[in-house]
Amino acid sequence: MAEAPMQDSEDSFLTGAREIAPLVLGVSIFSIYGLAYGLLATQAGFSPLDVAGMGVVVFAGSSQIVATQQWLAGAGALAALIAGLALNLRILLITASIPDVFAGRPLWQKALAAHLAADENWAMLLQRRAKGRVAGFRYFVGGGVAQFVAWGCATTLGAALSVAIPDPKSLGMDFAFTAAFIAIARALFRGRRDLAPWAVSLGVAGVGLATGWIAAPWAIVLGGLAGAATAGFSSDDD
Amino acid sequence: MMTSPWALILPLAAGTFTIRLSGALLGARIPTHGRWARAMQALPGCLIVSLVAVSLISGGPREWIAGLVAALAALATRSLPFTMVFGIAAIWLLRHYF
Repeated sequence: MAEAPMQDSEDSFLTGAREIAPLVLGVSIFSIYGLAYGLLATQAGFSPLDVAGMGVVVFAGSSQIVATQQWLAGAGALAALIAGLALNLRILLITASIPDVFAGRPLWQKALAAHLAADENWAMLLQRRAKGRVAGFRYFVGGGVAQFVAWGCATTLGAALSVAIPDPKSLGMDFAFTAAFIAIARALFRGRRDLAPWAVSLGVAGVGLATGWIAAPWAIVLGGLAGAATAGFSSDDD
Repeated sequence: MMTSPWALILPLAAGTFTIRLSGALLGARIPTHGRWARAMQALPGCLIVSLVAVSLISGGPREWIAGLVAALAALATRSLPFTMVFGIAAIWLLRHYF
């Protein structure tokens, strides 16, 4: 940390960790999901140590859940792997969309920030920037570490205790991140020049999924790419 | 004896990390001017829109109404926590009473 001026309070590790707080709501939701995931993993024959290790090396909640469900259903390691990885394809666009976070960093820091990349710290970074405030590498890593710890603890605890907890869906918690993304979309909207790209994203992702033409993970990726391509090809320079 | 979970965990970890790092390295190679820059600037918003679209379409009428409530809350309050609270409250009420 010595190379960076510490009075740069705007882009700081602590601010990143603290401002993920709107998602503390998030963390508690995470905890519920984490406990639920721990229980699921136990049913699939994972020990608490396996679950802790998985959280550390994979650190991608929804893909862990889906892959473990497939594994539990007897789909085999390959099918479980493909289901989990497909769900993570969107993270490629997430890390690609914030080149400045990685720019000029040594490879180990790039690798660290990449490993900690998740929907939530990415979303919080965008939200903060949309307010005209600074958020960079340290903010991103701070938020990621907060999540990493919350997710690791909750899942391991869930596996160790193996207690039944309320279904996150019955609490409406599965909707929390959708609502958060809606708020962030509002914050990111840049006016008229976003209309066509967003309409294309909505159309490709929505129609693709609704017609059964593409599965959800691909709908997200293709929708994002199609919208970005639309913005790229527009000659609109307002 | 079941197959060790690590037969799943290790390739999933390797694949996920490859995806994450590829994006980071790819993003650095994209030109910072012209069409590519416009596309890259639009990418976060477009990806968010896609995520919301997929999430809402994967649900049913209750999710659509709750999505509308969250959108109105986002427009009115411009606050992330408030939007989340309104969205969760709406989906909870809809699922329990309708």
